[in-house]
Amino acid sequence: MSEQMRRTMNLPDLPALYVRSRALPLTAAALTGIVLVAAWAADWLQDQPHFDHTARVPVLVLAPLLASAAIGASLHSHSDELDRTAVRPWWPRRLLHLLALTVLATGALALSVPGHPEEFGAPGMVRNVLGATGVTAASVALIGARLSWLPMTVYSGAVYLAAPRTPGGAAAVWAWPMQPGPQGAAWAVAVAAYVAGGALLVVRGARPEPV
Amino acid sequence: MSTVTVRNARTVRVSGLTVRHRRRTALDAVDLDFAPGVHGLLGPNGAGKTSLIRVLATVAAPSGGRVELLGSEVGAVTDHRSRSAVRRRLGYLPQEFGYYPGFTVREFVSYVAWLKEMPAAQVPEAVERAVARVGLADRIDAKVKTLSGGMVRRVGIAQAIVNDPDLLLLDEPTAGLDPEQRVEFRALLRELGETSTVIVSTHLVEDVAAACTEVTLVEAGRIAYRGTTAELTAIGSNGADDSLGDNSIERGYTAALRAHRTAVAGR
Repeated sequence: MSEQMRRTMNLPDLPALYVRSRALPLTAAALTGIVLVAAWAADWLQDQPHFDHTARVPVLVLAPLLASAAIGASLHSHSDELDRTAVRPWWPRRLLHLLALTVLATGALALSVPGHPEEFGAPGMVRNVLGATGVTAASVALIGARLSWLPMTVYSGAVYLAAPRTPGGAAAVWAWPMQPGPQGAAWAVAVAAYVAGGALLVVRGARPEPV
Repeated sequence: MSTVTVRNARTVRVSGLTVRHRRRTALDAVDLDFAPGVHGLLGPNGAGKTSLIRVLATVAAPSGGRVELLGSEVGAVTDHRSRSAVRRRLGYLPQEFGYYPGFTVREFVSYVAWLKEMPAAQVPEAVERAVARVGLADRIDAKVKTLSGGMVRRVGIAQAIVNDPDLLLLDEPTAGLDPEQRVEFRALLRELGETSTVIVSTHLVEDVAAACTEVTLVEAGRIAYRGTTAELTAIGSNGADDSLGDNSIERGYTAALRAHRTAVAGR
């Protein structure tokens, strides 16, 4: 697409220098590593004696958490004060940045847990990536990118320990990362977290942090 | 000077400008205007210099008042379009600025040129020119993080002038520069001031004496004094007490500041 065409269509642009300034190549490499480890771990866990596909729970909780942490870190701006003097509004770039990484992470991680979609398979993985990324995006906007991994880590840890064994019910709301798959309430919470967290980030941007 | 006609055009007009940080008032209903030339912004620490520069750079929104830059109103939240137009013609060196650690000087200055929406075809040449003007041509492909503090400061000046701004705002530009670099920098300031409005916030009185044609003294969020550098020097020469400073302009600075404080206290 030509520069002129892009301008007339008013599309956001993420040129090479923006991509580098947000360490996006490193983020993509980190996401790739997370996906490969997740695929290997999910496969290995299922193959253990007396284990089946439900043994993939830790992968479904941990991989989205790590992916969201990588996405949160990439939203850090080293030059916030100068970025504020940008001619164009930032929100389209933030939106594109967040969507591109979300698509990459959800797509690749969904492929890392093949089979048994109803119990800790691809749908559950997509839901958890969306939810974790939403919580982390909100954290970037509210507490800054550097510590944006913390709230979701604390929450995931607590839920992993406290969630009841039986899915559904009230636990589908507060323990949404631990639900096997089709529970509607868990999806509603995760998607709401993504939309709200994403909107907060896109509108407000990362909270400024000292140089 | 040959730029007398240009100087009559006011490029910055501010009226009733108020900036509050939580409960503290950083600027209290300030009225100011600036024309092309080099203007020194002097004052004690915490006087409100940085608050004023940040509002003029459009990075902070004022709590109240009107701000007109280069003929456009930019103070209100809704002035998106005029703010975008002004930002293309604005240069800003913050007191502290960050940079992506992996960037070279060339990449960092190009990044800022991209922020300012300079036409892509002009960027490489403009970047080299800006970096050469601050005397870093030989380090243009060095990583910014490998440079010394004074050099990083000069990189900051290079990014501020990459788009040949009509309005240039420099917050403590000489901090960390050695004496020789400061002399060179003042020459650059005088050159830039021939066509642009340059506002330099500093607490180094000698920078103002050497490079600025006009001085604005800020104290506790108010304007304490405005005049030419020569006028401020004159205050310090005409029988001012020697304890006020070691040279005329320092004495002028201290005398003007104290006169303002006395006037405020007497109200």
